Amino acid sequence: MESFLNKKIFIESNEYTYRVEHLTLEGTCSTDHGPRNVKIKNLLVDKYPVTNQQYYFFLKKTGYQPRDSQRFLEHKPNKKLFNLPVVFVSQNDAIAYAKWVGGRLPTDEEWQYIAAGPKYLDWPWGNKFNPLLCNHDGNKLEPVNTHRKGESWCGCVDMAGNCWEWTAGIHDDGNHQFALLRGGSYFYAHDHWHVGGGARKNNYHWKLQILNEGMNRAATLGFRCVYDEK
Amino acid sequence: MMKNKFTDKKKSIDFSLGNLNLSIDLNKNIFLKELNFIKNINNEIFVIRAENKLIPKNKYKIEKVFKNTDVNFTVISIDFSQNFENDFFKGRISFVQKKKNIIDFIFQLSARWHKDIPKKVLLKFPFIINLHKNKNFLKPGDIFDGKKRIKKGVWNLHEYPPSIISDNLGIESLGFEFYDQFPWQANYNLGMSEAISSENFEKFETEVQLTQELTDIILMKIYTSSKGREKIFSLWKENTRKRYDLRKYHDSNNRWIKKNYLQHFMFAYGEEAFDYKKIQFKINQIIKEGKQFGGYDSILFWHQYPRLGLDESNQWQLYKYLPKNYKTIKKIVDICHSHNIKFFIPFKPWDIRSNESLDSHAKSLEKFIKETNIDGFFLDTMSSLPESFLKIQKKFPSFEFCSEGTPREQRQIETLTSSWDQIGDIRRNFKVDINSNFFRFLFPEHPLNLVSRWSVGSDKDALIKRAAFNGMGMVIWQDIFGCWLPFSIEQKKKIKSLKNILKKYHKYFYGDNSIPLIKTLSKKIICNEFSNSQGKQKIYSIYNFGSNKIYGRILKLPLAVMEFKQIYGKKVNIQIEKKQNTFYLLANLDANDVILVNIIFKI
Repeated sequence: MESFLNKKIFIESNEYTYRVEHLTLEGTCSTDHGPRNVKIKNLLVDKYPVTNQQYYFFLKKTGYQPRDSQRFLEHKPNKKLFNLPVVFVSQNDAIAYAKWVGGRLPTDEEWQYIAAGPKYLDWPWGNKFNPLLCNHDGNKLEPVNTHRKGESWCGCVDMAGNCWEWTAGIHDDGNHQFALLRGGSYFYAHDHWHVGGGARKNNYHWKLQILNEGMNRAATLGFRCVYDEK
Repeated sequence: MMKNKFTDKKKSIDFSLGNLNLSIDLNKNIFLKELNFIKNINNEIFVIRAENKLIPKNKYKIEKVFKNTDVNFTVISIDFSQNFENDFFKGRISFVQKKKNIIDFIFQLSARWHKDIPKKVLLKFPFIINLHKNKNFLKPGDIFDGKKRIKKGVWNLHEYPPSIISDNLGIESLGFEFYDQFPWQANYNLGMSEAISSENFEKFETEVQLTQELTDIILMKIYTSSKGREKIFSLWKENTRKRYDLRKYHDSNNRWIKKNYLQHFMFAYGEEAFDYKKIQFKINQIIKEGKQFGGYDSILFWHQYPRLGLDESNQWQLYKYLPKNYKTIKKIVDICHSHNIKFFIPFKPWDIRSNESLDSHAKSLEKFIKETNIDGFFLDTMSSLPESFLKIQKKFPSFEFCSEGTPREQRQIETLTSSWDQIGDIRRNFKVDINSNFFRFLFPEHPLNLVSRWSVGSDKDALIKRAAFNGMGMVIWQDIFGCWLPFSIEQKKKIKSLKNILKKYHKYFYGDNSIPLIKTLSKKIICNEFSNSQGKQKIYSIYNFGSNKIYGRILKLPLAVMEFKQIYGKKVNIQIEKKQNTFYLLANLDANDVILVNIIFKI
């Protein structure tokens, strides 16, 4: 499979009204879900989620070894998988990569703006769900450029479905630590007690409760980076 | 025995069956004239409506009265027939007595339809409806608070405790039980058990599908007692339990579950259970904190939900992702065992994948038991034990199962020997009621752990009182999937006190002779009685559900008292009063208080 380079897309500073809506089944998601005003600074953002190839290159160049390698890159990326989003990475693994490329993980607010834009779109491509524009209910990950027609207002691809994406920060309510995931994935488990899978709307995040790194990594969980304007 | 005879002239029939005395008037219709202490009732026994037309009362023809008296078996039946328009109905009312205090009332009906086209037939039983209107009639779990009947007993299984009517002194009593038929079959007690517990019983009509042969419509057991309603409960309990195979409960290998008074719900993703800096579970800390509750008897480890479904990993694979694989669990189990604490993991039936089966999960469980030495499997969202898991107990006889839901059906109760008693509804303004759980009294050998996960503040107080009132253990669940709802220091002390007395008086709390909602001498007090068959010592759980303090006679005691003491609850003044060879328990009880009193009788 031919490899390609991830492009960076410019996002001009703006303000928008952040509002997240989701069910947590039980328990709570103790963050401020809005509506609240959010300022977005000038940013560059990866057009695609970080791929296996990019992550492989990072490993090769830096020799990065996580402190706890349980499930780290459990899918054993090879050349055939190069254009698939890198998964089985914890938030720490994602941050290590982002730092190396001079970026960082997007905040939950930034991610939503990148996906929904100033028109507050429900899905990256518009307001109506279209399963043909994303890897929504499939059997496996697809190359990150498979659904280019499903790009968001600013040109970012794969923001709904294929793989969940880490956002920045560990939230701490005093008794629990959790991170917020975005976008949903290809995997759609069958029961209502499971994590709601498939592609997820732009205003949806899922609360991943943090445990050890083995539990923090998953076959459906990757990331993309943003870059502050210097 | 037939007391009197049936004559065509009199067209009335009076008879006694065991302790049941009946008089039935057959003059115009089939009327129940007298039933033990209930005189001059004159209620129709049944009314038939075919396609919305009532069959006129004077059209029944009495075909035959049959009686057969044997040493062990007495039956009397009345056959009747009825032509109505172009259809023909035949019916039979029977009373069958095999045991002195228990009589079956059987109502059967058939129809020969014009041109063989069945009609919609509805049945009403005015005599039951009118019994229900009697001020001394209590539906299952009801008490009379001086003004109205209120529900103070609950059950959630396919056995229905009898409704009871008593004389004005509360001594002579009759109990009426409808078998619950599940799954439901045509005609047989259709909906009657639900109906008798509903508010709209007066309006209740049952629809029946009639054929040319007599079919059972109602099979009602009538219990008779001259020792109050408590005796009715005991008769029902004894009779109901006879149908059950309860051997598994008395298998000595799994008896540890009976002393599982406090189960800790260890939600993995939180400060209570997990040290985020050291990346390890705080099992020693949990055990230490558990001592504030009186010590945990078991721990239920929980990390699959709400994580399952993020990717394709199944519930067993998620254990591999814990630090050091299964070894984390093994280490925790070993620590628990060193403190004499049992360890459960959960099973998620909703996670079974298309390439899995219950047998494959049983194999995974077996492997897990071997690797970690866990003691039990908690059946999430379930109230029955799958056959595949039942086999596990043959290999690991002391391995136990506990389900989230209390089992409801016979086979479930026979095989699943422990469960939660879970109450609460987060969607509504749920208030924890303090009432009697009849399941707990029907099957005292089946331990129940009370839990209401979302209850906080005064509801947590009420939950503890409810556990004390029912003499049952609890689930200590403070981290509700990421929502921290802890017990207060005072609440912990109360639970500790409860656990200590459950342990100390185990043989009475879990004795075979316990009775819910015994008669009290105050309209605002309810009481459960715990005892074993020896009867020398009893524990009374007493609850003042009124809004005022009560002082005075609470209970009339069955025997002379040797010793008495309060064993649980806010210290109150209790006394025993003897008057004309009758003993009374007096107490000074605040509103909304639950106390437990232990009494040793002179036998």
